[in-house]
Amino acid sequence: MSQKINLRVWLKIPDAEAATVKNTLVRRMGYGNFLSDVKKERLFSIEIDSGDPQELAKSFARELVNENKESHKILVDELIFEEGYVPVKVALHIEDGEAISTRDRLRNRLGFGNVVDVKKATIWKLYFKTLKPEAEIKAKEIAEQLLINPHKDTYEILSQ
Amino acid sequence: MKIAVLQFPGTNCEFETLVAVKAVGMDGEIFRWNRSAAELSGFDGFVVPGGFSYQDRVRAGAIAAKEPVMSALKEEAGKGKPIIGICNGFQILVETGLLPGRAKGNVNAGTNEFRVNSSASGSGSNCNSVDMALAQNVMVSQGKIVRRGYYCDWVALRHEAPSKRCCGTFALERGALVKIPIAHGEGNLVTTTPGLIKKLNENNQVVFRYCDKNGRVINEFPFNVNGSTESIAAICNEEGNVLGMMPHPERSFFAWQLPAFDPRKQRPDEPGPGRHVFESMKRYIEVNA
Repeated sequence: MSQKINLRVWLKIPDAEAATVKNTLVRRMGYGNFLSDVKKERLFSIEIDSGDPQELAKSFARELVNENKESHKILVDELIFEEGYVPVKVALHIEDGEAISTRDRLRNRLGFGNVVDVKKATIWKLYFKTLKPEAEIKAKEIAEQLLINPHKDTYEILSQ
Repeated sequence: MKIAVLQFPGTNCEFETLVAVKAVGMDGEIFRWNRSAAELSGFDGFVVPGGFSYQDRVRAGAIAAKEPVMSALKEEAGKGKPIIGICNGFQILVETGLLPGRAKGNVNAGTNEFRVNSSASGSGSNCNSVDMALAQNVMVSQGKIVRRGYYCDWVALRHEAPSKRCCGTFALERGALVKIPIAHGEGNLVTTTPGLIKKLNENNQVVFRYCDKNGRVINEFPFNVNGSTESIAAICNEEGNVLGMMPHPERSFFAWQLPAFDPRKQRPDEPGPGRHVFESMKRYIEVNA
């Protein structure tokens, strides 16, 4: 039976891309009254067909996370987020070359033959001054107006 | 005849673009993104040059497209002034919605071809002004992906539009071949808009396609260098005054810029093939003044 390892990875140094997105939303797109902060994570969803997922996840993290600048969290067969922000998952709906390369690297070069598939996404963590459901409505707007181009990306507001 | 060459943080081709603008006899200056956008109206034409605006954060062109200067540029486009977006400039124009543009009901306007999502997920019903994307390069040969990502090379381009159709190729005949370099990681034209490619073809809005040295369009690598739909390298809006192209004409403006294997390199006084684009812009302004 296959299992899914979700590896959440975020910068522990300042994230310039998240700062740019926040600046653009606040200064250019009128979200200053609603938005208090923006953070970002990378998400690797790695499907395996055998092995101890916790041990494998630690091995994957050693390969995919740069501990000098990044932190991570491992979740097996679940994907949960903390309270206080709206997580927006953005992924390609066209072929994701980076995800394929990561899969091939794990499977063919690093010898993890139990890796079936790898999917990559960006999680935008939007911190709002307003509460649900308004925050989720705003998050949907932000996703569609800035975070995705619908001709290559999809998004999902992840419930908490 | 005064041209504004736009500069965003991360733009890196503005100075050679300005040289090209001036070398064909137009006046020009670098226009920084944080200048008063209203000042744009004092120019006769615009070039959005290549580079990596805002370090391609989120995706290429996405952040620059939200700058006030781009709203002002839209207004100038509406007046019929010529705008040429090169590489990252093309990406910015696409993200701004200036290309392919919907000025006259482009692509089934009024039929609501975008899905309207009532749930909190989807592919973006509110992205109502963006009809396409320049996605990550995918190089395909004989049905297999042979390469991905950033790529730079000299490419052959076939001019697909009739002469006078577009501001940046005003002086080029249909079928003309030009050799211009490319250098990008996201030039793969994709769209989910039904009928868009057909419409672009029918309206002569496809300006350049990648081809081999004899002008044959072969829709695979190394001729199609980025996986772009139908080998499209450049498009214009319906009116023809806005052109977006992935290749860099300013990098083949002079013959001495050509690669060593090109015999024209030995004749440095000759114009390079990229010069056509800037001369066309000048001619377009003269004719439409």
